[in-house]
Amino acid sequence: MDLGGTGLFRLMKGKLDWLTERQQVLAQNIANSDTPHYRPSDLTGFSFDRALGHARQLAPARTAVGHMAGSTQAQGNDVQKDKPRHNYEAAPDGNSVIMEEQMIKVADTGVTYQLVTNLYRKHVGLMKTAIGRGS
Amino acid sequence: MDLRDSLTVAAAGMKVQGTRIKVIAENMANSDSTAATPNELPYRRKVITFENAMDRQQGLEMVRVHKIDKDRSDFQRRYDPTHPSANAEGYVLYPNVNSLVEANDMREAQRSYEANLSVIEASKTLLTRTIEILRG
Repeated sequence: MDLGGTGLFRLMKGKLDWLTERQQVLAQNIANSDTPHYRPSDLTGFSFDRALGHARQLAPARTAVGHMAGSTQAQGNDVQKDKPRHNYEAAPDGNSVIMEEQMIKVADTGVTYQLVTNLYRKHVGLMKTAIGRGS
Repeated sequence: MDLRDSLTVAAAGMKVQGTRIKVIAENMANSDSTAATPNELPYRRKVITFENAMDRQQGLEMVRVHKIDKDRSDFQRRYDPTHPSANAEGYVLYPNVNSLVEANDMREAQRSYEANLSVIEASKTLLTRTIEILRG
């Protein structure tokens, strides 16, 4: 059985991908905190509904050997970068990175990541219980 | 899309701040470097600027040093007729380095460096948590 293909695991994988990507965007913002005219960006929010829709999508079945394998839409690709915006506060050189805001986002990403990985472990634990090797 | 990319980006941020500290050190060290003769100019303060650019090798947008330029502001003038580089009126040109400005710049560079360091710590924690899934 492919764990990654199961709805819940796929959903969690999508969220982890999103968080990883966000961490990178935040790293970029912080690294550019002294770059003139740099405007910070962020990802568009992770939409649970959309991810769930993807997670429940059915894969087309192959009815003949000659047919090409059908694929459902790629999962990780719905991560989108938000448009850079002007913040309420900008340095005289045009840089509008607010360090506190970025650090809070980094912390938030860390906490959410932990939440998802813990959920993942719990569900693996459930699976193990189901096959009689519960911890 | 990898956590290691975050580490690379943050490391690039630390690198440019390091270069900035180097430029500041240069300015501070040369804050009294006058010219040898009246016809020459003293040390000119250097200014560093950054830019966000695409790194083709990594396929990532990373911060890098844009230019280390010269500060075109006026030199300081001090009256010292005995100095070898004093002009006809007895004034000596001193570098346009203001140690207060440099000290503040240095503090800012230090803080930005620390911020990048925190991002590395945070990314490392995320990686560790991913590995911890394996412990079940």
